[in-house]
Amino acid sequence: MLGVARRMLRRQDLAEDAVQESFVLVWRKSHQFDHGQGQAKSWLYTILRNKCLTLLRNRDREIALDPSEVETASDDAILELAYNRLEQTNDLRVCLETLEPNRRMAILSSYMLGYSHGEIAGRMGAPLGSVKAWVRRGLLTLRECLS
Amino acid sequence: MTDRSLAERIDEVVLGLASEVEMAEIEALCAIDPTVAAQLERARNRFAVLDDTADRMPIPGDLWSRVETLLDEEAVDEPATLASADIVNFAPLHRTMKTWRATALSGIAAALLLAAGLGWSLLNVAEPTVIAVLLDDRGQPMALVEGNDNNKTLITLLENARVPEDRVMQVWTKPDVDGSPVSLGLLAAQRSRTLSVEGLPPPRADQLYEITYEPLGGSPTNLPTGPILGKGFAKTPVY
Repeated sequence: MLGVARRMLRRQDLAEDAVQESFVLVWRKSHQFDHGQGQAKSWLYTILRNKCLTLLRNRDREIALDPSEVETASDDAILELAYNRLEQTNDLRVCLETLEPNRRMAILSSYMLGYSHGEIAGRMGAPLGSVKAWVRRGLLTLRECLS
Repeated sequence: MTDRSLAERIDEVVLGLASEVEMAEIEALCAIDPTVAAQLERARNRFAVLDDTADRMPIPGDLWSRVETLLDEEAVDEPATLASADIVNFAPLHRTMKTWRATALSGIAAALLLAAGLGWSLLNVAEPTVIAVLLDDRGQPMALVEGNDNNKTLITLLENARVPEDRVMQVWTKPDVDGSPVSLGLLAAQRSRTLSVEGLPPPRADQLYEITYEPLGGSPTNLPTGPILGKGFAKTPVY
């Protein structure tokens, strides 16, 4: 869990905060949890991811940024490492392989790094409209491929 | 907005691209329509495997006490709010809750962490029908393999393998003595885990299991290509 938060937030302290606050939410929402087996992990990670996204979207951390605490690995390196950890026979990986690289990168950047359309456009040096189209078409291809 | 398909809007919620308004709309739809909720769950499951690609990092020991502190602060605030709203005074209840909360919290956390950390399926593995101890080239046990008729295979590593950065551990078995090895999956995080494969015959005594080093993502040929870390033949446990 901490690894997922750290990958999105890029800072150990923020990642720990996100995990901590997620467990507070888990406690508060535990009555809402449907005890269907197999869903606990999904539920837990959804809470964690939403918490990370909120932290990212509301961040004023640019101001208080201490360079020594920030992970320096480039986006590409993080995404590539994660992508390589997917098994080659995994359905999602097989389908991601079929996407044009721009579409694949845009989708992976949003899920794993928590980037918005605008941030993806900025980091990839592409117009916002193109990024939105890449994501839309990429998701459509993935849905068709995985259905 | 309305001309976009529901499937696309759901995907954007899962990726984290949806606005708060959009998220609230989808959540509201889920609350009234179970088919939408199921669609959202399926979309989440499609991408969930990406969560497993993050580095595994230990949770700091003081995290539970920090969570408790936060919950305590909340408990102090809430009764005041409720009292002013002139409803029921929940303060006594909260005080009672506080006494058992710490225990319950660590219980929930432990259960969820176990589920999240080890893979939920591990908790549901039936008693193994075969067990194999894999030995390394020095004859030392390096992994324990437990397989059952559903072809869920629990791999417990018995030592920390030094896997090169550009390699991953891949687990193989030979369901057919004269056939080719079949991949059971990768141990990408170099941790013990349960692997599940569809379509294989139930494992039998004397079936070969082995772990090899393969390029990231697994063997490109879908057959073992790298050096063997451990190898062993299954035995049937006596219950």
